[in-house]
Formats: sequence, structure tokens, C-alpha cells
Amino acid sequence: MTAEKTDVLQGTLDLMILKTLQAMGPLHGYGIARRIEQVSVDALSVNQGTLYPALLRLQQRKWIRSEWGTSGTGRRAKLYSLTRLGQKKVGEEEENWERIVSTMARFLSPAEQD
Amino acid sequence: MDWLREIFSRSTALFHRQRLNEDLDEELESHVEAAVEENIRRGMAPDKARVAALRLFGGVTQIKEAYRARRDVPLLTSLKRDVFYAVRRLRSSPGFALVVIATLALGIGANTAVFTLVEGFLLRSLPVADPASLYRIGDRNTCCYHGNFESADGDFDLFSNDLYRRFKQTAPEFEQLAAVQAGGGGYTVQYGSAAPRPLRTEFVSGNYFSTLGVGVYLGRPFGEADDHQGAAPVLVISYVAWETEFGRDPSIVGATVYVQRHPFTVAGVAPPGFYGDRIASIPADIWMPLSAEIELEGANAAVTQPTTAWLYALGRLRNGVQKTALEDKLSAQLREWMGEWPRFTQHGGAAIIPRQYVKLAKAGGGIQKLQQQSGANLRLLMILSSVVLLLACANIASLLLARSTTQRMDIAVRMALGAARFRIIRQILIESLLLSCAGGVAALGVSWLGARAILTLAYPEAHYMPLNAEPSWPVLGFALLVSVMTGVVFSVTPAWAASHAQPTESLRGINVASRDRASLPQRTLVILQLAMSLVLLSGTFLLTRSLMNLEHKDFGFQTANRYTFQMDLEGAGYSADRTTGLYRQMEQRLGALPGVTHVSFARYIPMGGNQWGTCVYLQGGTDSGNEDKCFSDWIRVSAQFLDSIGVPVVRGRGFTAQDGQSSPLVAVVNQAFVKKFFPNQDPVGKHFGREGAKYSSEYQIAGVFSDFILTDPRSESRPLFLVPDTQQFAGYTAAEDDAAEKASMFLGSVVLQVAGSPTDMEMAVRKALAEIDPKLPVFRFVTYDSVVAENFNQERLIARLTAAFGILSLILASVGLYGVTSYFVARRTSEIGIRMAVGASRSLIVRMVMRGAIAQFAAGLALGVPASLLMDRLMTSFLFRVSSYDPAVLAAAVVVLGLGAGAAAILPAIRAASLDPVRALRTD
Repeated sequence: MTAEKTDVLQGTLDLMILKTLQAMGPLHGYGIARRIEQVSVDALSVNQGTLYPALLRLQQRKWIRSEWGTSGTGRRAKLYSLTRLGQKKVGEEEENWERIVSTMARFLSPAEQD
Repeated sequence: MDWLREIFSRSTALFHRQRLNEDLDEELESHVEAAVEENIRRGMAPDKARVAALRLFGGVTQIKEAYRARRDVPLLTSLKRDVFYAVRRLRSSPGFALVVIATLALGIGANTAVFTLVEGFLLRSLPVADPASLYRIGDRNTCCYHGNFESADGDFDLFSNDLYRRFKQTAPEFEQLAAVQAGGGGYTVQYGSAAPRPLRTEFVSGNYFSTLGVGVYLGRPFGEADDHQGAAPVLVISYVAWETEFGRDPSIVGATVYVQRHPFTVAGVAPPGFYGDRIASIPADIWMPLSAEIELEGANAAVTQPTTAWLYALGRLRNGVQKTALEDKLSAQLREWMGEWPRFTQHGGAAIIPRQYVKLAKAGGGIQKLQQQSGANLRLLMILSSVVLLLACANIASLLLARSTTQRMDIAVRMALGAARFRIIRQILIESLLLSCAGGVAALGVSWLGARAILTLAYPEAHYMPLNAEPSWPVLGFALLVSVMTGVVFSVTPAWAASHAQPTESLRGINVASRDRASLPQRTLVILQLAMSLVLLSGTFLLTRSLMNLEHKDFGFQTANRYTFQMDLEGAGYSADRTTGLYRQMEQRLGALPGVTHVSFARYIPMGGNQWGTCVYLQGGTDSGNEDKCFSDWIRVSAQFLDSIGVPVVRGRGFTAQDGQSSPLVAVVNQAFVKKFFPNQDPVGKHFGREGAKYSSEYQIAGVFSDFILTDPRSESRPLFLVPDTQQFAGYTAAEDDAAEKASMFLGSVVLQVAGSPTDMEMAVRKALAEIDPKLPVFRFVTYDSVVAENFNQERLIARLTAAFGILSLILASVGLYGVTSYFVARRTSEIGIRMAVGASRSLIVRMVMRGAIAQFAAGLALGVPASLLMDRLMTSFLFRVSSYDPAVLAAAVVVLGLGAGAAAILPAIRAASLDPVRALRTD
């Protein structure tokens, strides 16, 4: 077990959820949390108190939608999937994120700039 | 865009919280189950798997809270909870809620009603284009025909057609200048096969509609081209008359209607909402060009008489015109014009011409005749209703203060349990706002009904008065704001204080009557209420007494058991010389009706709102030329007139059948006439005349009758002479004088004296008259008493409204005193128990409770008596034969207030005295 798990940064969680749904198709809340943890190789822990409000926020913006269905294990679960608007937004958010990352990178290692 | 979707989603979530909550529960549960399943798959024991899953999951409630906070609008949901809580609390004390709401409704409602009328009357603009640029030449309200200097200080406002045209030509400062008839007229109008009916008419200059910038609803307005001698007579009908008198008949445009049997073409129908150039209790039904007066009045037409003033001038001023310069210019015109007429220059008149002038007055509100008459009354009502609003606010304040003390413990408990101060205050705020809103809604109803009632009471004849009773929104808003502020201040401030007190202290203190009296603010409020109530009550008594004095004044003639009605012989097509025969015929027919003892005809009747004046020329006297010195009223009547109104002849004789066309002309005069023109002489046999010194032997005085009031009950009897309907003077040389004499032969008023109480007099009379001439218009059949009563409509209205306000204030003040005294008893219940246990008698307890109430009453008087005296001084102009300083009135007001206050205080006192000491000791 890793000694420290980093909490997911506010704002980055939205993009993680969107990417997860893009990659996995319809998925329930637990599945999304597990997937994020797995992808981060257990470096991140997803707090349900943040996850569910985040899912709600994305729904309110009509980026994702939810409906009751059956999970992979045959259990009744609420499944989230990307809307058409969501598909579009994933791209935008990705670009945004990359811009931030590259900017941050320049701050962190200014020597490499030229 | 995202935020918009978010808001939309959040607000829709408000409406199905229940379903969404269940949905969330299920989702979180399925999340945990999925985790358990996975744990089991990894090889954990089922119970351990669940524990691990739950531990990892974290606090379910916190998650739900965070989720909900995001899902809908948390502020709103908690507000909703607070509102429901406030409603529950108010429903648990319905008496309190009802009293507050009723107080608000009456206080705000009464105010809004009165201010609505003030706005409609005094502040309203004419429904015309750009009313702000309308100005009137003249700032007074002289009416209706005048032929001389108009006022002692030289201020002119009534003009002849000739003078109006002079102004119009020489004052290009006016874009347009119109003239309107000063007094309203009435003619009989007939259309198609319908029965002829009397309508209100107004002569206006041809440019009237274009000056006001008013179009028509149908047809066309008349213009300058329609207003000259010889033009085809046209008229415009008001929208209201078109609806009520002509049944919205669109084919009336271009059709011929008959006015006094003269054919007129209907040019158009005025637009809805246009009521003319003034607010009148009975607005004009028909407008006709000035020149149409010639058609209708012939040689008697005022429009052709160059010095007969009968028009107001109303025009649209060009931008940037200097008003004082224009006033000077117009005044100079006026003086120049007067200098051209002997009527003004003779008898030393030339010397006072330089003092004559005109003033310009804003006319955006129209000719402010009714406004000036009713303005003072409305202002008095405004003051009264403001006092009532103050009283209402004071009552609400003291009720809320009393309530807040009982809430103190409540607040302490909630604070101790950890409630946020913000939430406590907010909840109390919501409660007071709820009350205010409920009161506001009720006030809306009260104000609507109130304004309607005032209008109906004030102008019972005015069915189409261009005023509506719709509440004035700014005023309603203002009154509501005042009462909401009162509510907020007096509920939130104590709550704020209570929430800052240490909960433990409050909780410890609840069983101890630490302060055994109502708080100082509460007592102060009650004292103020009592004082204000005294002011209103004394005003009520003064006005009521004044009204009684007016109504029961001896007018010098009898009205009981008498009916009167109007008829229009001229409109029915009779000529002046045929009238006498008709009167005799009617006299016979009507006199034969069962119960009728006297029938008489008169040009107009005393206290009927009309009056004809003339200059009297004594035979052998000097022609003073001064209207004040020669002025007398006169009426043409039938022989039985004096008998029919119960006026005795004190000297000489009244008219008889012998006074015919072939015998010498006679007149009878009243005592005031004798006093003025024949002091210390026997007037019988003396001669006098009208219309000029050369006619000074026209009438011989046959007798003297005792004085009676002709128009104004507030003034003394003025000189009056009567001439018989059987004698027409044929000697006038001027055509206009002859026409006026002929016109005076038409007696429009009939008086019937009856014995006992014959049933359905009106039907019998109409039937009898229809047998003589079915086309004869008969209208306004009423008792003579009601004709007289109409003179006091305004006074009655003011007295009644003041009385209503006075009673309201008495109730409010009594409720206030009752509240404070009850509160005093409630707070001292245990103390009263102890006192009674150690032997205090019940009467001692009553005295103890009453002492506080009496002290407040005394303080209220100390404030109220001087305030009443001051207020009564302000009302002097409204009073008739009552001194504004009337100790009896003040004493009556004090007694009534004392009775109210006594009742309010004695109830809690008796309750206190009848307490069972044992139980009283056990209470808090």
C-alpha cells in the first residue's frame, strides 16, 4: 500500500470523470471511482463526498446524463454516460488542461525553456 | 451557458426533492453494495467486507448534505422551511394574527383609498397630448355668465367671445388658444324614434379638439371651419354618452340628432377616456362649436354679445415663452378692449380699468373647478387617514412588542440548542413580513371598496365621473412600506436583543416577573394612540355637529311633503307665448291628482343649485352701475309658488289670477330686498326694473314675502324678487334683452306639495303629463328634501368619513390599551396570587390593575387635549355655526374615549380579580 494518497484536485476530477466515461462507456459511480483509482495506480483516492456532487454538477451542465440500468455484475445501478455536449467538452477541457500543464511546466523548470 | 443550465436544473430540482432524495439514497446504497461485492470477490468475509466498504465510503449524511447543497438552492429550501414554520406559528395564535392583519388592512386601506382620490382629483392630468404645455388665461373660477368687472382686485378669468378672439389674434405665444363654456349647459336631445332626453352640453371653440390634441373614436372632430355663423351645426358625442345614450350605434356618425328640436349632424364620437377639459361630477355628453349657440339661443346667444363673459380660455403655450411677459401683454389687451366698451367705462369704471389684469395658470389638470371645491376636503381626509395609519402602526408595534416578550424564552431555548442567531432573526423577520403581506392584500380590498364608497357618497349623481377607484399603486406601496418597516423594527429589534441575551439568564428568569410592568415603549405607544384617538374623536364631534346645524338650519321655506321635478318645454318645441296656457293646463291636471295640495312652476327652485342675478334700477333712483350696489336675485314663478313652499307674504299681496298679460306688471320682493333698496320705506306700490334705467318703471311691487335661503346656507338671505309667469315684458328694445325675457318664460322646475303619503307619485305625474304632451321630457323627479340634502353631500361625506376614522381610532386605541393591560396582568399573575393569598380584596386587585390604565389615559389626555384644540383650529373653515373651541365637544370626545379605554382596561382587571389564588401561585 502506498503511504500517502493524494486527494483529487478540485476541477481535475471533472476531467477525470469525463475521460473515464469516454474510455469506458456508461459506468456507475462506484465504477468511476474505482477506475480513477486504478488508472492513478492507487495514487489518488476519490472521496465520495466530492465524487457525487461532481457527477451532479456535470449533469446540471448537461455534459453527462444518468439513468438506472444494470451494472457489469448484474446489479441495479445508476449509470452515467457522456452526452453529445459532453463529448465536445472533453476535447475542450483536455486542451485547457494541457495548456495549464505546459504553463506550469515552464514555471517548474524555467531552465529548459530555450 | 453552463451556469444557465445549472440554475435551471437547480430550480427544477426544488419541485421534486422527495423523489431525488430517494434516488440518491438508492444510488449511494448501490455504491456500497458494489464495494462490498468487490471486497467479497477479493476474499473478505461478507460482514468484514461490508464494514470495510462502509469505512471507505465515509459519512453518508455528510455526502448527502454536500450533494443536496449542490442539487438545489439551499437558501430557498431553508427559507421555505422558515415560511412554513412562521405560518404554523401564526396559526397557533390566530387572534394575534387576525388583529394585526385587520389593523394593517384598515390603516393601509383607508390611506390608500383617500390618497387614490387625492391623486385622481388633484394630481391627475387631462387625458390629452402633452398636458404640461396647456395653460389657462385666468386663475380663478368665476362662473357662469358675467357682464362687468369680475373681482374686486381686478383679476379676470371669464371672457366674452369677442375678448377671446382678441386674445387669440394678438397672442401668437399660444400655439393654439381654445375657448370653453364656463358653466355646463343642458339641452334636450332626440335621435331617431327614441324618446327625447336631457343631456349635458358644452360649447367650445372650433379648435378645441386640435388644441387639446384629441382625436375621435369614430367620425371626425369638428374644426375651425365648423365654428362660424352660418356653418352647418355639428356636434361631437362623448364616448360614455355614445355607450349609454345611443347604445353604441355606429351609424350615428353623420346622422341627424335634434337638440332643442334643431337638427345637428353628428361629426364624431370622442375617444374613450376623454372626459373633456375638467373633472366634473357629471361630465359633458356633447360638445358643440360656439357658433351653434346662435342656432339654439337665437338673439339671446351669449356668443353674439360682445361683453357677455362666459368662456374660459385654454391654450397650448409655445416653448420658451416668458409667462410674466405674456401676462403683461394679455392684461394690456384686456384693458385696451375694456376701454372700447361703455359698459366698462361708464359710471367711473374707466378709473378702475387700469387695475384689471389676467394671470396664466397651468391647465394640465384641466379647469380645476371641482378640484378647488373638493381639494380642502380631501386634504383634511388626508390628514385624518395619516393619523389612522400612525395609529395602526402604533398598534402593530405594541402588539409585536407584547409578543416579543413571550418569545424571549423561546429564543433562549433555541439559542441554547445551538440555533444560529441569523436563522432566529430571519425566522422572525419572515413572520412579520408574512403578516404585512397578508395585511397588504386585505388592504387592497379595503382601499378599493373605500375609494368606491367615498366616490358614491360624495357624488351620488356621478355615474360616469371620470375618476376611478382603482388603488393608487405608489400610495399602496408607500403605506405598505411604512407598515412593513414598523413590523420589522418592532419584531426584529426585540428578537435581536433577546438573541444577544445569555440563554441561561433568560431561561433562569422566565419564572420570575423580573419586570412587572409593560415596557416603556409599549406604554408610550398606548399613550400616543389615546391622544391621536382623542384628536379624531373631537374632530368627528365637531364636524357632525356642524353638519347637523347645516341640515337643520331654518332655510325659511318648507321642503317636507314636497316633490320636485324638471321639464324642458323649450326642448319640446314650445314657444314662449304658449307656456302660460300650458302651465294652467298642467296645474289643473296635477292639482287633480289624489293628495296634491299645491302645484307651482318656477324658473329654478331655492337650494336647487341655480341662481339668476340682475341689476335692479329703481324708479327715480340713480344708476349706480355698480353690480354690488344694484344686485338682486330673481325668479319667474307661478302664482302658487310661495304657497307651495310655505313662505308667507308679510305685506301687501302675492300673485293672483288677475295679474295677467293685460294688467300692469307686478313683482313681489323679499325682506332683504326691502332692506337694501327701500330702507325705512313702504315698498308696496313702488316701481323698479331690470336691464337698464329706462326700464325702471317695469314692475310695480305688489307685496313683500319673508326671507328664505336661495343658494348658500352659510350666508344670510340676499335680495330677491319674483315675477309672475303670466306677464311677459314686451318693451325691451334690444333684441338680446327681449330674447332673454322670452327665455325666462320657460319654467323648468315644478314643485308639488302633497298631503299624507300618496303612493307612486312619479308614475301618476308622468301619466298625467303624458296625456297633455307625450313628447315632453320630464326628469329628476325627487323629493324636495333630497334636493336640499344634496347641498350637503360634501359636508356629510366629510363628517361620516371622519366619524369612521374616529371610531376606527377608538377601536385601535382601546385594543392597544387592552393589550398592554392584559399583558400587565399576565406578567403579574403570580404576584396577584400572592397578594390575594395574604388577604388583598378583589376590589384592591381591580384598583391595582386599573391604576396603570388610568395613568396612561391621563397621559393620553394631557397630550390629546392640546393636540385636539390645535387640530380643531385647522378645521374652522369646515365648520358651520360651531366654534372650533367648543368645550362640550371636547368633553364628549373625552367621555367617549374614556368609555372605550375603561372597557379595554376593566376586562383584564376583572380577569385578574377573579383569579384563583392557588392556581395563580402555581403559574409562572
